[in-house]
Amino acid sequence: MNISLSKQNNKKEKQLDTTSKDSRKSCILELKDVTKRFDGLIAVENASLVFSKGKITGLIGPNGAGKTTLFNLITGFLKPDTGTICFNNYTIDGLPPWRIAQLGIGKLFQDVRIFHKLTVLENVLLARKEQPGEKPFISLFRRRRAIDVEKMNIDEARNWIKFVELGEREDSLAEDLSYGQQKLLVIARLLAGGFEVLLLDEPTAGVNPRMIKSVLDVIKRMAQAGKTLVVIEHNMSVIAEISDWVYFMDDGKVITFGKPQEILEDPEVRKAYLGV
Amino acid sequence: MNYVLHLLIMICIYSILSLSLNLLVGYTGLLSLCHAAFYGIGAYVSALLMTKLGLNFFLALPVSVIISMLLSLLVAYPSLRFKGDYFILTALSFQIIIFSVLHNCAGFTGGPYGIPGIPKPHLFGFEFNSLPLFLLLSVILASLVFFVIYRISSSPFGRVLKAIREDELATLALGKKVAGFKIQAFMISGGIAAIAGGLYAGYITYIDPTSFTLDESIFILAIILVGGSGNIKGPIVGTVFMIILPEILKFLGIPDTIAPNVRQMIYGALLVLMMFIRQQGIAGEYKFE
Amino acid sequence: MILQLLANGLVTGCIYALVALGFGLIYNTTRIFHIAHGIVYTIAAYLLYTFVRGLGLSLVWSLLLAIILATILGIVTEVFIYYPFYRKKTSLSVVMIGSLGIYIFLVNLVAMLYGNETKILSPGAGKTFNFGSVILTKIQLAEILAFLVFFSIMVLLFKKTKLGKIIRALADNPNLVTVLGINIRWVRIYIFALGSFLAAVASCLVAMDVGMDPNVGMEVFLVSAVAVIVGGVGVFEGAVLGSFILAILQNLMVWKIPAKWQSALVFLILVFFLLFKPMGILGKRRRLEEA
Repeated sequence: MNISLSKQNNKKEKQLDTTSKDSRKSCILELKDVTKRFDGLIAVENASLVFSKGKITGLIGPNGAGKTTLFNLITGFLKPDTGTICFNNYTIDGLPPWRIAQLGIGKLFQDVRIFHKLTVLENVLLARKEQPGEKPFISLFRRRRAIDVEKMNIDEARNWIKFVELGEREDSLAEDLSYGQQKLLVIARLLAGGFEVLLLDEPTAGVNPRMIKSVLDVIKRMAQAGKTLVVIEHNMSVIAEISDWVYFMDDGKVITFGKPQEILEDPEVRKAYLGV
Repeated sequence: MNYVLHLLIMICIYSILSLSLNLLVGYTGLLSLCHAAFYGIGAYVSALLMTKLGLNFFLALPVSVIISMLLSLLVAYPSLRFKGDYFILTALSFQIIIFSVLHNCAGFTGGPYGIPGIPKPHLFGFEFNSLPLFLLLSVILASLVFFVIYRISSSPFGRVLKAIREDELATLALGKKVAGFKIQAFMISGGIAAIAGGLYAGYITYIDPTSFTLDESIFILAIILVGGSGNIKGPIVGTVFMIILPEILKFLGIPDTIAPNVRQMIYGALLVLMMFIRQQGIAGEYKFE
Repeated sequence: MILQLLANGLVTGCIYALVALGFGLIYNTTRIFHIAHGIVYTIAAYLLYTFVRGLGLSLVWSLLLAIILATILGIVTEVFIYYPFYRKKTSLSVVMIGSLGIYIFLVNLVAMLYGNETKILSPGAGKTFNFGSVILTKIQLAEILAFLVFFSIMVLLFKKTKLGKIIRALADNPNLVTVLGINIRWVRIYIFALGSFLAAVASCLVAMDVGMDPNVGMEVFLVSAVAVIVGGVGVFEGAVLGSFILAILQNLMVWKIPAKWQSALVFLILVFFLLFKPMGILGKRRRLEEA
């Protein structure tokens, strides 16, 4: 894996040593004092968060709290105005989105974003990192290698498609799936991409209750397999069920954080969010 | 009979043009209105190399392909920033500027009078100087292009292009450097169009700028939109249809003076009709969404 | 010499400005890349020719009829082509291709019926007027007058009438339509009527000045589209500003560079703006193409 390090990296690493050694060990993704403004509107303000390996972190807050913006900042679709974002001790803020994805951070968009006119198999295949066939020269002149790797990728892709139980729909066009199935498809895509960190923006929204169980199952299994997950959700029972840790945001700021039960019972959270 | 051979040669040339443009339009989703510019660059560079430097056709052609690929970067880079209307305008600008250069730089390109006296292609003493022989050459080149486009579009590279067409942001989020793919698509598309240009130059033995106008770009685009975009048979269907159409008109007795206009009226009407009832064209699979 | 070139540029600018105002009116509010605007322009000229030379009608009547009919053509494209697309929520690329199809169909119809040669309404340049070292013909003065009159009317329309307010709101945010609960069918018809009217007026004046050929429409259309972008998308005055900048530059450059490079110049200017100032001179926010 080629990671281009900015010269600042080593300096910044030392500055970030504000958390305890223990959490540093399992900390894989960290935001420090991140702020993002849009034309005078502050979308995210001095946000500091830590996400640990093998854990599911919930991110909750009313609409407009800055949660999706945070995801966009992490994945490079937006650049922070101040603050730093670190992944495995490397500074990633400022890198282009495709680079951050290659480094291992994957995202499930709030509006799903499947490739409509491609098949389920093609959708998942696209996520595979190693594809020599993506270079036209190789497809033309060194086919053997491209074909072999493609075969492996197809097998891997099929595994993940079966994992999310979409096996029979492999050749269907993505747009022909139900909404819930499309969500599973995107999850299969994320899994096939071998991402270490998965940012899921409302994975259960719009999904019927039967499917929700499948989706949550998959999420839990991913954490068990050592992935780092961050989940934005409005469905509190989902948060309660799967999260190991929860951050509550409002108005662009991180208001409070802690274990799910604590946060969900916090009166401030209930007031801002649940209207109680 | 000669006329049939001529038609078949034109079908080969336009197949090369439509297949290469389809890579941009049908696969990557970029509505490019400057394909005639690359066609012209290929024709002029080949013609100049053959007439001024006496280079053999089979050497001039690859050189014109490379130059076309390099020039395609002029459209490729600015277009990375824009989508939709702005991209169309960028490609349009390139078309108009290249045409102006071909038309106005008389010292270099012969201006409005073009370049006459282009030698027929020859290889080791063997000259493609008869229609059947030239058809053979055209078929060989067209098949080569078809093969290359087929390989490329059914490869993972083609898959990424389609993904870019469907959703650029999601493609980025999967770790694909979209800009790089777009640039490669442009270069391949422009380079292959140049092959058609060189072939045309060797065939007609005289080229002038009027063959490489905006109208021509629109015509090539229409071939794809009518015949079908996003797969490999659409452009071929479109090419055959659009080239044969005027012949059908002649058969129906429409006088030569207005036949070109009638033909264009038909494909103008077809474009509107297609956009209403069958956006993916006759045999295509991509509907512009 | 320079003054004369400047004056010529001003006159040409008036024509471009009328056409660009028309195109801008349509583009800013509906986001349709109305290529058929070019054929509305062309047909106005040929209608004028038909009435004056073919049917021998008086100039006044011919002008009235030509302009009204061309305007109706513009309305027809909206009612029968664009509005159905709008109802089906078709993508703008598709609509543009449809517009292109209309243009191709009609421009070839014109070429078929009238031939490709340049047609002139009346020979001779007509009366000329001297303004110091600058000479302008009667028609050129008429072109300037037409611009001043119609531009003023448009400004009044934008500021004082309800339609004008709706148009400005749409230019700011085309999606506002449904929220405001206005009758979008009729608003669009008015917009296309106004836009086509302006193009028709400009076309008839030019037809009286230098004549016409089937391709005039596309040439002027392209310049007007560039003018809208350069002047500023979403801002109607931008179309006017862009037009004058392009026209004056085009005419001034004749001094140093051969006239045959005029089209290339227009598009080089466009590329410059697209690269460095895509919002145009007066344009406000960047229209985010982020899907």
